[in-house]
Amino acid sequence: MLKRLFLALSILAVWGCPLAAGLQVVATSPSMGALVREIAGPGVHLTVLAPPDRDMHSLQAKPSMIHALRGADLVVALGAELEVGWLPLAIASSTNARLQPGQTGYFEAAAQVDLLDRGAAADRALGDVHPVGNPHLDLDPVRTARVGRALAERLGQLDPASATQYRRRAEAFAAEVDRRVRLWAQRLKGAPGVVLYHRDAVYLLDRFGIPLLGLIETVPGVPPTAAHLKELTAGLAGQRGVLLYASYQSSTEPEALARQLGWPVQGLPLEPPMDADGEGYLRHIERWVAAIAAGQR
Amino acid sequence: MRSHVTPGAIAAALVATLASPRVAFPSTASDIAELRASLNALKAQYERRIHALEARLAAAEGHSARAARQGPQARAETAAPEPAASQPMTAAQVIAAPVGTPAADARGALTSGSAFNPQISVILNGNYYQDSQDGHGADRVGEALWPGRDLTTGDSASGEATAVNGFNFSEAEIAFSATVDPYFDAVTRLSVGGDGSLALDEGWFQTRGLPYGLRLKGGQFKSDFGYINVQHPHAWDFADQNLPYLNLLGEGGLDATGVQVTYLPPLPVYTLIGAELAQGDGERFGATLSPDEQEVLGLSQTRGGPRLWTAFAKVSPELGESHALQLGVSYASNSQQQSGHLLGEPPGLWTPAVETTGAAQVVGLQGRADLWGIDLVYKYDATGEYGYRDFKFQSEYLREVQDMTAGDAVPEAAGTRYTIATDGLYAQAVYGIWPRWQVGLRYDVLGLTNQVRGGIDADYGSSDRWTAALTWNLSEFSRLRLQYAKNDILVAPGERERFDAFYLQFLVSMGSHGAHPF
Repeated sequence: MLKRLFLALSILAVWGCPLAAGLQVVATSPSMGALVREIAGPGVHLTVLAPPDRDMHSLQAKPSMIHALRGADLVVALGAELEVGWLPLAIASSTNARLQPGQTGYFEAAAQVDLLDRGAAADRALGDVHPVGNPHLDLDPVRTARVGRALAERLGQLDPASATQYRRRAEAFAAEVDRRVRLWAQRLKGAPGVVLYHRDAVYLLDRFGIPLLGLIETVPGVPPTAAHLKELTAGLAGQRGVLLYASYQSSTEPEALARQLGWPVQGLPLEPPMDADGEGYLRHIERWVAAIAAGQR
Repeated sequence: MRSHVTPGAIAAALVATLASPRVAFPSTASDIAELRASLNALKAQYERRIHALEARLAAAEGHSARAARQGPQARAETAAPEPAASQPMTAAQVIAAPVGTPAADARGALTSGSAFNPQISVILNGNYYQDSQDGHGADRVGEALWPGRDLTTGDSASGEATAVNGFNFSEAEIAFSATVDPYFDAVTRLSVGGDGSLALDEGWFQTRGLPYGLRLKGGQFKSDFGYINVQHPHAWDFADQNLPYLNLLGEGGLDATGVQVTYLPPLPVYTLIGAELAQGDGERFGATLSPDEQEVLGLSQTRGGPRLWTAFAKVSPELGESHALQLGVSYASNSQQQSGHLLGEPPGLWTPAVETTGAAQVVGLQGRADLWGIDLVYKYDATGEYGYRDFKFQSEYLREVQDMTAGDAVPEAAGTRYTIATDGLYAQAVYGIWPRWQVGLRYDVLGLTNQVRGGIDADYGSSDRWTAALTWNLSEFSRLRLQYAKNDILVAPGERERFDAFYLQFLVSMGSHGAHPF
């Protein structure tokens, strides 16, 4: 009986092991997934943990995530505590010691570039704040390209045979980003400014020098008050601008504000589609650029 | 206002006198009151000024940090990338000093300061409770009639009410967690009750780097039996524990002081199997009598451990990004279980204390106890914000069987064998009706089978309850819950208590950001 059980288990174990070809990489978000596809190329075995329409901060450590991390060589996270509620727990539960922070298998995008909104007061009266900095750096294509270069180095450490190839792909991606950023900068010249729901698109605004005219939520993770919205409307009356919010955020307040101000309003995903590669990522940024540019008319 | 002089006023007067010698010594109570008022005003004024200064400082810091970043950014775009070392996502870590920021004050001593402190969180759990049983309802749900519970000590195991009519402070849970070294993580959870009682809820270490999907845990921990057993009260979807867990395992669930090993095999679907070996002196499951009672009733002494072992398996098929399902099966066995009952009556009924009745009246039982459990959890993660339209269904079935033999203190019962079998289940669902607002519905029942076979045959009925809850998550760190339960509890053969119970519960969490387990 025991022998048969053991046999069955070992057959399952062999079947369950993916073919050794290529690195096994887990990305927490679709943007990081796109970067992995772009830099690592078609040979990589990639799993993306969170779809683009979710609040990355509020996810749970699901068994399927633990399962994906079990045999991974590398986990690519956005970091800066965005995934703090579930990624450390999922990595620990996966028993995969190679993915622990500090190991070669742990890559955090936020640790590769300088962050905005750093050093905020660690006071929860100000909401669910993260003093290490704003983690939504993937909306800045330039920072993302820089993360791509660091990722190429990391992939090269894990798979030295293809190191030059990873580096070449990262450089090519950075060059393409450079080209697009120049076009976008021209297109956004003189864009009047944006009101966001949450400080999630500040990296994009910062990159192109677009003024952030206001925030719908006063403190992160806490819904806005009517008084704040009234104050915001009063302050912005007569100006031009655009209202943008992430697709998982409430559309009620931005839509109401847009009606009162006569501004264009748009809900956009913070993340590219699940199957995006570098080009898919740039198309995603293009959507945001177009939405901001809509304020010029 | 009271006319006599309070000690606080005297202290205030003394402080005022010492601080400013020109103030005349106050001679009447009204003088003291006036003095106090002016002191308070002074204090408030200073607080306001300090707050204003703090705000200005924070604003100035924000400006300068921003200015410092503007410069290096342009340079960094063209510079070669510097792959920074990976940093764990904890607030204590600083990612990299921004370019241009001066180093820390060179005159200070180099110290790691508080950086090695464990992550600390404190969770407060309290409620306003009201039932139609003069406040005895909260105890009664944990004392439903079933034959495997020992009643020789008369009262509920904890001896104190879980909630009385009016305000209750359930507990303050203080949790510390940290990585010990490259080999272990460790957690300590203390529970401070409203009466000041302090208990160690959990204190364990767990391996970080064992190969082959293995993990080892040791210390005192909540058993991974079933699904809800590992959850602390603040993680429940309702203000109180379900009937089968509460009655078969007691307030704290199945606690283990021992070791646990889990194995995550490399299978195509998530599968976790595990086993525990533990001391097994449970509140109900594996309960033994006191040495005095054991001697009087002719039962063996409490044996040395380990007496408890458990085994469990959990499987979760891949269902895409929005759905998650986990199925589990668990088993626990305790090699020593003892109870007493009145001669001529079946076990589980009220039994007078051994000291008052004498041994001839009370039959002692001893044997072993086995517990089976199956659990199912399904979660739907909607795209809405703050849990809007998220759905969760959770259900568990427990069945306990005790194989008992009467002790030899009462000759007419000595050696009589009993098989006691009791089961129960709960099923509950929660749904996000609005962002941050959740409704929950639960049905729980104890004693679908509730019987004694052997020396005496008896069949007791079942106890059940319907519970509805409305939960408001103000933020990730605070929660209010309104709960109503319609109880139908069997307290003695053929005797039921039907009552309503209301909870208005608050839960607040301070300190480090909590994990979101499945």
